[in-house]
Amino acid sequence: MRRALPDVLWTLALAIVAALAPTLLKAGFDQASVSYLSLASNAMSLGILALSWDLLARTGQLSLAHAAFYGAGAYAAAVLANATGVPIVLALPLGGLVAGLLALGLGSVTLRLKGIYFAIATLAFTEVLKAVVQELPTGLAGGAAGLNVPPLFRPHFVPGQMQRWEIAFQRNEAYFYVYAALLVLTIAVSIVVQRTRLRAAFTAVRTNEAVAAVMGVRPARAKLLAFVLSSALVGMLGALEAMRLGSVIPDGTFAISTTVFALVTPIFGGLYTTLGPILGAGVLSAVEETLKRTFAEGYLIGYGVVLVASILFMPRGLVGLATRLRRRRGGSGTPAAGDAEGPA
Amino acid sequence: MSATAPTAGTPALEIHGLEAGYGKIQVLWGIDLTVEAGSFVTVIGANGTGKTTLLRAVSGLVRGVHGSIRAFGQDLHGHSPARIVRAGIGHVPEGRQLFPLMTVAENLASGADYLPGAAREITRSRATVFELFPRLAERQLQLAGTLSGGEQQMLAIGRALMSRPRLLLVDEPSLGLAPSLTKAVFRALAEINRAGVTVVLVEQNVQRSLALADRAFVLENGRIVKQGRGSELLDDPAVREAYLSL
Repeated sequence: MRRALPDVLWTLALAIVAALAPTLLKAGFDQASVSYLSLASNAMSLGILALSWDLLARTGQLSLAHAAFYGAGAYAAAVLANATGVPIVLALPLGGLVAGLLALGLGSVTLRLKGIYFAIATLAFTEVLKAVVQELPTGLAGGAAGLNVPPLFRPHFVPGQMQRWEIAFQRNEAYFYVYAALLVLTIAVSIVVQRTRLRAAFTAVRTNEAVAAVMGVRPARAKLLAFVLSSALVGMLGALEAMRLGSVIPDGTFAISTTVFALVTPIFGGLYTTLGPILGAGVLSAVEETLKRTFAEGYLIGYGVVLVASILFMPRGLVGLATRLRRRRGGSGTPAAGDAEGPA
Repeated sequence: MSATAPTAGTPALEIHGLEAGYGKIQVLWGIDLTVEAGSFVTVIGANGTGKTTLLRAVSGLVRGVHGSIRAFGQDLHGHSPARIVRAGIGHVPEGRQLFPLMTVAENLASGADYLPGAAREITRSRATVFELFPRLAERQLQLAGTLSGGEQQMLAIGRALMSRPRLLLVDEPSLGLAPSLTKAVFRALAEINRAGVTVVLVEQNVQRSLALADRAFVLENGRIVKQGRGSELLDDPAVREAYLSL
């Protein structure tokens, strides 16, 4: 690990802010804090989705199967809860495990595919997995109608001492912490990748496999490792979301929009970095919410305009823009020669 | 891959009847080539004659190769690049191929990190590289993308040295460099060779690279058409006419 201290400090600072946030929100906003917590969880969910996708993209594998692994995790949780009596909390690691194993299988057969061919294969995989889940015995996976998923937390109401909205607060607060924990885990994985020899391996596999090979890296292993890590993390997210939303349904749980958000957010924030996808998730969530409140109908048009403008004017995302501004002000004026690490 | 210690006189590289190409396009047509351990060998030839393919075949980067390739007595044929680099064969790829958004130190480390033997020696190897290229030592924490072309080439060679190779394959290091920098890079290669590393250099800069070579080969259309001591080829009228336009 090289230059690890600043990362650790940042992560710790974020963790402390997250730990205090619900209490502070409640003190400051009373009833409104319920929806703020929910918004924060949505933003963190987008961050986990985006950063886990970026982990895989660092090896040059532009996946359109993120929804598949998200859905696999969600269904693993749902089936576990409905078919067995084990505690629902086990759904989280199980969701990660199932998604990770599926990624190992898919990754092994797509190893030699590149670029658009890899993307198409992964897109097809999403559709196939959705169809398979839909055709499973209804008693097991619920068919086209889906399944209910029990919640991870059951708030307990104390009459007389609590107000009604505090039930929702309790519930949202509990989920907030779990999302924060999963986000911290995803950030930690990303930082480890960026600060160890894995960064050079992933970058080399992305930009020039021959260089990776003469460094002694086995490209197939590096790609599979990224695929499994990325999918296990998003599988856990899928399981968590299934519990928070209360149900899974093939068309919704395997929706292509999940994949779209997973790749748009890192592109907006800055590809191949830890900060980029997180920053992108925060900003896009805030933009989306503001637009929703301003124009109830058709807010997606505004959202689209923001995305198109950002691709046009900051091709390397928020992080790239920040780097450019800092360089201009610092006056060192030496742009990185070659763009081998820029967005592919 | 624990090789038996090479006996004195075992060539660093022995290639017989090597045929290689990409898909249906055959590039090399039966190459025979021997590189004595500790020597400096140059392969010259025009663009597209197969110089890069020859090096890539030795490193295991070209699939479907026919013929035999042995390094220090050990058969390399069909082995993965990762195994071949572990057998002590370093490769400086054409066009440097550095990591522009990583520092000089990180680029160097990447040459050793995946090789257990080399990873243990990382501090010592880095010191050797810095001794050879003091400018890299000054720029350790600078991003590789901000280095000049000459410094980038030095870094590319340095990264390959981090694997502690016994045989170093160098592909067109003079590409895009000013003459004075080319000279510095070639001087460094000569120094690496003096330290005991066998060097195989593939070049279009015929004058300088032949002057350095103990032995040189001329590649034309995937075949070796001439070989001899570097100085001999430098005096050869046909070579002078074809490659030096004299």
